[in-house]
Amino acid sequence: MTFTLSMSAADLLLLLPEIFLTLWLCAVLTVDFTMRRLPQQQLAYLSVAGLLGVLAILIWFDQTGISGTLFGRMFVVDGLALFFKIFIVGATVIVILVSVDYVNRFHFFRGEYYFLVMMSALGMMFMSSANDLLSLFVTLEFSTFGFYILVAYLRDDLASNEAGLKFFILGVFAAGLLAYGISLVFGETGKLVFADMAAAEPSAGLVIGYLLIFGALGFKIGAVPFHSWIPDTYHGAPTPVTTFLSVVPKGAAFAILIRMLFVAMATFKPAWVLLMVAASILSMTYGNIVAIAQRNIKRLLAYSGIAQIGNVLIGLAAGTKMGSDAILFYLLTYLFANLGAFAVVIAVSNAIRSDEIEDYSGLNRRSPFLAFAMLVFLLSLAGVPPLAGFIGKLYIFVAAIKEELYTLIVVGLINVVISMYYYLVVVKKMYINEPTDPTVLTISTPMKVAVYVGLIGTLALGIYPRPIINWIVDATLMFSQIVAPSASLPVSSLPFGG
Amino acid sequence: MDPYLLLIILFAPFLGAILLIFVSNRQPLLVRAIAALSAGICLLCSFRLFYAYDPDAGGFQFIQRFVWSEELGIAFYLGVDGIGTPLVLASSILLFAGIFISWHIEDRAKEFYIFLLILAAATIGVFMSLDLFFLYFFYEMSVIPMYLLLGVWGSHTKGYLEMTDAEGKKKRDFVGFILNFAANSKEYAAMKLTLFLSAGAVVALMGILLIYQFSGLYTFDILVLREQAELSGTLSWVIWLLVFFGFASIAPIWPLHSWSPVGHAAAPAATSMLHAGVLMKLGHFSIIRVAWEIMPDTTRELMPIAAVLCVFSIIYGGFVAYYARDTKYVIGYSSSSHMGYVFLGMAALDYISLTGAVLYMFAHALATGMLFAMAGWVYDQTHTRDIPSLGGLATRMPFVTACFMVACMASIGMPGTVNFIAEIMIIVGAWNKYPFQVIVAVVGIVLTMAYLFRMMRGVFYGPMDHKYSHAHDTVAWVDRAPLLIMIACSIGYGIFPGHFYDVIRSGVDPLISRIMELTPLVTQSAGGMMP
Repeated sequence: MTFTLSMSAADLLLLLPEIFLTLWLCAVLTVDFTMRRLPQQQLAYLSVAGLLGVLAILIWFDQTGISGTLFGRMFVVDGLALFFKIFIVGATVIVILVSVDYVNRFHFFRGEYYFLVMMSALGMMFMSSANDLLSLFVTLEFSTFGFYILVAYLRDDLASNEAGLKFFILGVFAAGLLAYGISLVFGETGKLVFADMAAAEPSAGLVIGYLLIFGALGFKIGAVPFHSWIPDTYHGAPTPVTTFLSVVPKGAAFAILIRMLFVAMATFKPAWVLLMVAASILSMTYGNIVAIAQRNIKRLLAYSGIAQIGNVLIGLAAGTKMGSDAILFYLLTYLFANLGAFAVVIAVSNAIRSDEIEDYSGLNRRSPFLAFAMLVFLLSLAGVPPLAGFIGKLYIFVAAIKEELYTLIVVGLINVVISMYYYLVVVKKMYINEPTDPTVLTISTPMKVAVYVGLIGTLALGIYPRPIINWIVDATLMFSQIVAPSASLPVSSLPFGG
Repeated sequence: MDPYLLLIILFAPFLGAILLIFVSNRQPLLVRAIAALSAGICLLCSFRLFYAYDPDAGGFQFIQRFVWSEELGIAFYLGVDGIGTPLVLASSILLFAGIFISWHIEDRAKEFYIFLLILAAATIGVFMSLDLFFLYFFYEMSVIPMYLLLGVWGSHTKGYLEMTDAEGKKKRDFVGFILNFAANSKEYAAMKLTLFLSAGAVVALMGILLIYQFSGLYTFDILVLREQAELSGTLSWVIWLLVFFGFASIAPIWPLHSWSPVGHAAAPAATSMLHAGVLMKLGHFSIIRVAWEIMPDTTRELMPIAAVLCVFSIIYGGFVAYYARDTKYVIGYSSSSHMGYVFLGMAALDYISLTGAVLYMFAHALATGMLFAMAGWVYDQTHTRDIPSLGGLATRMPFVTACFMVACMASIGMPGTVNFIAEIMIIVGAWNKYPFQVIVAVVGIVLTMAYLFRMMRGVFYGPMDHKYSHAHDTVAWVDRAPLLIMIACSIGYGIFPGHFYDVIRSGVDPLISRIMELTPLVTQSAGGMMP
């Protein structure tokens, strides 16, 4: 196995978004160091401008169909990678917007906050392009390191420190699992690139290796039984970091999961379908039932996030192209609804310094806009039409029923009703209860922009998702061969197979 | 304009709701004007639709179709037949009346009207959907506004949900035990209603997904499924039962009814009107549209289930209504009881009885709408709905009393109201097949008379408590107009039901023929026997 790094200008083009972002975040850091008096808001807007530039490049890639592989197929640019890069960069823009006010609570290193957020985003962009085991490990760790710091960013806050430590220890443990799994898989197959591993014969070492890799990725997406870090970390971390953590790494991890399952492990499909079904049922049921008992909105959203990931796993369990389309669509609806909900949480917390659900009483009287936005986001998470979450759930269920996963759908539908309950409890507090303190809440402009983006996305995807669905269907065209379960896959016909 | 009638009827309330978002609560008149205007457009177009529908041509008319997603096999597909048209009309009449009934709401009027308009538009959407996806879409969409309407603008049931007989002895509800914890808060009622309906909806959704899968067509298009889907055997029974019980929970059929009277009692007047008037009919309508259209054979085999359960609905609802103390609780249980008639008319699978059932849905919408409107007025004036503590209000509010009398007469099925025609058609049509159920239905009419007159006497006649001497009648036209509209429709169509009959018949005939002609007619078995 030889790596010959001969790169041309055309190859560099594939890396343009990453290169651009790298330069930009260095620039942001430099500006922060050299112009100490610059208010941190300006840095935020500078970061947003850079990310919007990256977004423009990515959309240009997508429109012109630029694709290819680099570094001996370690790095791939295709429809799936571009979708997730757009997902990650778009979400990061919203995260930075909702951070602007909150960053004033940090006493030190305000400028570095934006640098770290963007660096994590960069890591996750690489992650969605990872096409072999080495780049999987490197990019996953690259993106996680930023988070270790970000979670503990409130230095004087015990909860934040605890969250950071917990996340770090469990995260490093997961990294260990991942490294061990990778070494086993490499030892058994002698291959690193996903597409080459597809032909491997099943053996005990390979199975254990794959299970360990699943464990590490399960930790990233927070699926039961790898969810234990989620509630405390979400609760303790600064809320914008929680926002970031609750959406973006999950998207990146699903990019890798889809690639691994559909490409590297296509021949093992009957086995991993069972695993996914089990993880999905456990995540949905556990997340929803425990969420009922929560008194803190961040913890409620943490458990609801576990349940939402369970829903996404239904799509993986389907294991078809339609399943992957449904996952992509569902993640988009989750992005808008969850980022929006957290944006409202941050706006409320900026005003009243509390995340207790009890303090949301009478929010409708104190800020009709925030209450309405929260209503829309929660109902979208619950899957109520005409909001995005409903279409996402339906898409997933349709993909699953075509694969005859009836049990999973029944469990999913029951969970929809359970989740309705705790989302409505928050709605009840906001709309029905009277406020203890009737002062009107004020919202800053960047916050408003973020909430509006969430609202528009949630409504648009719910009412007319056709263009987005068509885009997603095109983005995953390379999976169109994966229809027959366990059929041997014509690997060489995949775009990154040869 | 005619080709776009359905779009106008459906989107007028939605657009009204969207416009309202941008209006401030400090301009109450503007808020109400926008709501009334959009409801008015909706009402006028519904009347136009009703008279423009051509019963001779029959079938689905005013069709609008836009592809929504090829990938999932969904189209935004609207069209009405003889069954949908009267229900669209009923919804828009009740919406229009409801806007005026709630004219005096002060607290967050804007939000109230937004949710009311969305609720009505969603129900109208169900009645005109020809795509299973959109049928479900609108169905589920109508549930959430109910939660907020009940929770925010509703009223606590204040502990008089209990029942007493004439001597004041307490009665207990032994039959409606299922999930009836009898908590008295509006939050409880709202949550119970929402969870019950959502649970029913996901059961129906499971059925819809199974239709999607096992028809092998991968489309949600009802017309395509009707022509091509071949579902049979145990599978079709499972699907049929899922769809039936999923949708029947909103209808509400007997063991699944307990959310309904509590919800009625807690809801503000306009919401009760829409809830009892049209929301409950979503259940019957969806059963007809999904289960009957797509699985005619199974319908013939399994519909006797409804004939069995409707007996419990009628009798049980009637008795509880007789002993209940809360005016709205009485009307709520009377609605549940009357929905049993609709199920009876449907279960008989007969041209006459089904026509009667559809007409009854329309008639009941008007009659119950009036009763709830007036119960709401009395509550606004006296702040109680407890029948024993009310009385003698006829001297204070003669106009309301007169209207209430008319509404009672309509509810009982007095000749001259459209309810009479509907009831007689159900009874005549079902007699051959289900004589026992018909006798029960007649007993039910007597019960209806008993509890409505009892309520009438308790609220409007007898001695009046002096603390209610400030109560006053409806004077302003905004208060009287909705009542008069509903009375006019009820009596007008009762005297001239010709066009109504033609329209409904044009929808019922092909459906019943399809269901019944597939086997030789040997189904003259005794009533209520399971196949």
